[in-house]
Amino acid sequence: MKILVPVKQAALVEDDFELRDDGRDVDPDFVDLQLNEWDDYSLEAALQLKEANDGIEVVAVTVGDDDTEDALRTCLAKGADRAIRIWDDVIADADPLVIARVLAAVAQREAPDLVLAGTQSSDLGFSATGVAMAAFMGWPHAAVVVALDYAPGAATAIVERELEGGLRERLEVDCPAVLTIQLGINTPRYASLRGIKQARSIPIEELSPDELGLEDQDIGEQARGSRVREMYLPDKGQAEMIEGTPAEQAARIAAIVKEVMGG
Amino acid sequence: MINPTHDSADVTRELFQDFSAVGIVLFYILGFIALGIFAWGCYLQIRKYRQGVADGSWADLLRRFRDLCLTMLTHRTLRRRDAAAGRAHAAIFFGFVLLFIGTSLIFIDYDILGPLGLSFWHGEFYLLFQLTLDLAGLALIIGLVYMMVRRGWIKPPKLDYRRPDREPGEPDADRSAYRIEDWAFLWALIIIGVTGFLLNGSRKLWLIEDPLVWDYRWWTPVGTSIAYALSGLGLSSEGAGVLRTATWWFHGVLALAFVAAIPFTKVKHIFTAGGSLMLRDPLAAQRLPKLPEEGEDAGYGRITDFSRKHLLHLDACTKCGRCHEACPANASGLPLSPRDLVLTLREFAHDNLEGKPKHADELIVHGDGVHQIRAETLWACRTCMACVEICPVAIEHVPIIVQMRRWLVEQGEMDPMLQGTLQKIQKRGNSFGEAKRKRGKWADELDFPVKDARKEPVDFLWFVGDYASFDPRNQSVTRDFARILHHAEVDFGILYDAEQNAGNDVRRVGEEGLYEMLAEGNVATLEDVEFERLVTTDPHSLNTIRNEYPQFGGQYLIYHYTSLLKQLIEEGRLHFQRTLNYRVTYHDPCHLGRFNRGFDAPRYVMQALGLDLVEMDRSGENSFCCGAGGGRIWMADPPGKEKPSENRMHEAARIEGLEVFVVACPKDLTMFEDALKTSGYEGQFVVRELNELVAEALALDGQATEAA
Ligand code: SF4
Ligand code: SF4
Repeated sequence: MKILVPVKQAALVEDDFELRDDGRDVDPDFVDLQLNEWDDYSLEAALQLKEANDGIEVVAVTVGDDDTEDALRTCLAKGADRAIRIWDDVIADADPLVIARVLAAVAQREAPDLVLAGTQSSDLGFSATGVAMAAFMGWPHAAVVVALDYAPGAATAIVERELEGGLRERLEVDCPAVLTIQLGINTPRYASLRGIKQARSIPIEELSPDELGLEDQDIGEQARGSRVREMYLPDKGQAEMIEGTPAEQAARIAAIVKEVMGG
Repeated sequence: MINPTHDSADVTRELFQDFSAVGIVLFYILGFIALGIFAWGCYLQIRKYRQGVADGSWADLLRRFRDLCLTMLTHRTLRRRDAAAGRAHAAIFFGFVLLFIGTSLIFIDYDILGPLGLSFWHGEFYLLFQLTLDLAGLALIIGLVYMMVRRGWIKPPKLDYRRPDREPGEPDADRSAYRIEDWAFLWALIIIGVTGFLLNGSRKLWLIEDPLVWDYRWWTPVGTSIAYALSGLGLSSEGAGVLRTATWWFHGVLALAFVAAIPFTKVKHIFTAGGSLMLRDPLAAQRLPKLPEEGEDAGYGRITDFSRKHLLHLDACTKCGRCHEACPANASGLPLSPRDLVLTLREFAHDNLEGKPKHADELIVHGDGVHQIRAETLWACRTCMACVEICPVAIEHVPIIVQMRRWLVEQGEMDPMLQGTLQKIQKRGNSFGEAKRKRGKWADELDFPVKDARKEPVDFLWFVGDYASFDPRNQSVTRDFARILHHAEVDFGILYDAEQNAGNDVRRVGEEGLYEMLAEGNVATLEDVEFERLVTTDPHSLNTIRNEYPQFGGQYLIYHYTSLLKQLIEEGRLHFQRTLNYRVTYHDPCHLGRFNRGFDAPRYVMQALGLDLVEMDRSGENSFCCGAGGGRIWMADPPGKEKPSENRMHEAARIEGLEVFVVACPKDLTMFEDALKTSGYEGQFVVRELNELVAEALALDGQATEAA
């Protein structure tokens, strides 16, 4: 059996950064890249299934340019069997819908028994890619999964989802399905630098959208559901540290309330 | 010496006197059986060690052998921190060695030279020989009696064999077999010694009529006293003859049994400890081994991954407990004792390498099983080197632990917090996860520029290190040092963005791939910079740059800042404005003190400042780690247990009138300022970096002047 794990090389932005000249993203000079935190967990979930059962293949896939190869090397170092990267300049600045369409095409080709994606990305945080991918494929899905019980070959998986207020929902999902995995479902392993170096000898399959049967209209500008118009820092909120004895602090708070309420 | 009426050749001891031929043959048969068992045991042990990986420990054999002899003759490693045990061991050791040489001489004389007519064991030589062996036997027994008193009555806690890495009741928690063995060893030796004297005494009484024996009786004062005692108890000469024969057999058979048991019991430390001392690596903890370029697995996962020398170490441990007592992890109640680590691995090697060959999977030393090492045990270590430094038989716990951690790292098994930090270092070259460009920011607040060594040549290149660069509290110390250098007109510069974490602690965590990247990166950066020598305030960086960068082609002269300050004072380049007369104590950082023998410079500087230095009990070589080493600063200590740094604060607080706890390491400042608060001494004394005191004495900034 096969598990497909879509991953993202996410941006890690420095504390003090500048925006790109067009104002629609952070200047890449201030960005480091690393495997999306959520994907650490989805990959770990796949690897744990692989280790507990015989004959499971774990395939990591990403949509991105050369710079994103590192994410795949990390997956290979941790124990993924294969890695696939899809890229074409048309995809640059793509939104989650386009990415999901590409991933769905990969899934069609790979025919996995399970897709384990991260719930969201640590940089943009749309939480949309995995779910959209399921929609494009017409597969069942469950989001924000915090526990997974699945035996290879089974027709269903039992999953637990995290709801608001600490509530959990246990459900049975028909497989194959797309599950988006939440942080904390497991303890991800560390990818040692030696391991990452050794993973360099494993070839990464590089595909173009074309080879997946995707046309420009499926993935180009017109296919996007949204466009980034602007990125900016909101004006700083007002905050003040109130010092002094409790009585002094209370007096100061009263003064602020009066000032703001105009009373 | 010799009575002129006696022929010197007759003044000797007749061996096997009055023995029947059957008796003699029987004794020889027993002797050969004992030697056969001994040889078989040695073969088993050597076969075990040979299943390890060969390494280059045998280089420079002659010097090593000389060192070994010196160590054994002076007992220098055994006397440390336990002088009484050292003396008792010396008595046993020298007694045993002399008796062994004596017995060998008799064998050579009787079985080899005698038949050739070259016998030498008679006359004056014989008499001196008798006296020597008599006293040697006495020394042996006195030493053994002290050891019995020590185990039976004094009972030092380090000998209780309590294991911090197992709960009572776990299958391998019980170490009472060791205790039985210890006592059996002491009793066996003491019985051999006592029966030796009894044999001598009964023989004297038996041959009381023979002037060749009786006239020379006082050459064996102890044996002869026993002869008088026996006679005083009413034993006749004939009775003594019977006693002599019985004792002879008892003594002889027990001695042979002892020889046969050597390779199978703790007695083998006679050989293993000697071998271990001979293979001693003086930089064992300071310079960790490089990994081979290729190869699937890194570090020690299976017992057969161990180097032969490390396998020998496992058998060399004498359970003396010195490391157990010195270990900060053990002191904080963490599941690690360097002694128990070694003993557990010893049992594992014994179980798996002495019998039939086992399957590779059974040879994994990591895990929760019997005689396996748990990950929590390995992660508890601070690589502080206290164990390596005090071990009397030169066991290298630190490289063993780090090699085992390397394997865990390769498996991806580690504390999530530590993972996060290593990832930050991977991405940004520093453990704070700060942007590279911020590395030199601390210098912005100075009122003079700090040279960029990448752009202009400097005399001193200052390797700042992560904590001194990014930690806000330490940044102020870093600026103080810059001001001191500026004041002394030292030509210095820093690398700004190009400096990366030096990697000392990354290597000790076991993330060797990342360490290689950092070391290679820094060496490449330094290649392109023009400088004469390096200086750092960080003992961790100092250690790896001095001792480990040569493995990556980087040979540098590097100073810890305290040595540079000492030099500046000697050259009269620091103009102190005021004498500080605080009562202080000083914490030797592990990586400066034990690792790099930097004990004197900081004390010299403190003296020059006029400080009243009162040493703590554990200082110098025996300094007690702050708990930050080995990557532990990047992991949380378990709540509810006394941290090593808190333990240290209690020790300092016992000094009457203490005002300042002086440190000379950025991580120490962080650890101890924290511990000062959590252990409740805030307000009683303060923790300060030596640079701050120097800056204060030089009146280099307003704050320092006010504080004075
Ligand atoms: S290096 Fe220090 S912490 Fe580690 S085992 Fe030795 S004494 Fe204990
Ligand atoms: S390892 Fe060394 S110091 Fe520790 S108990 Fe054994 S012999 Fe003693």
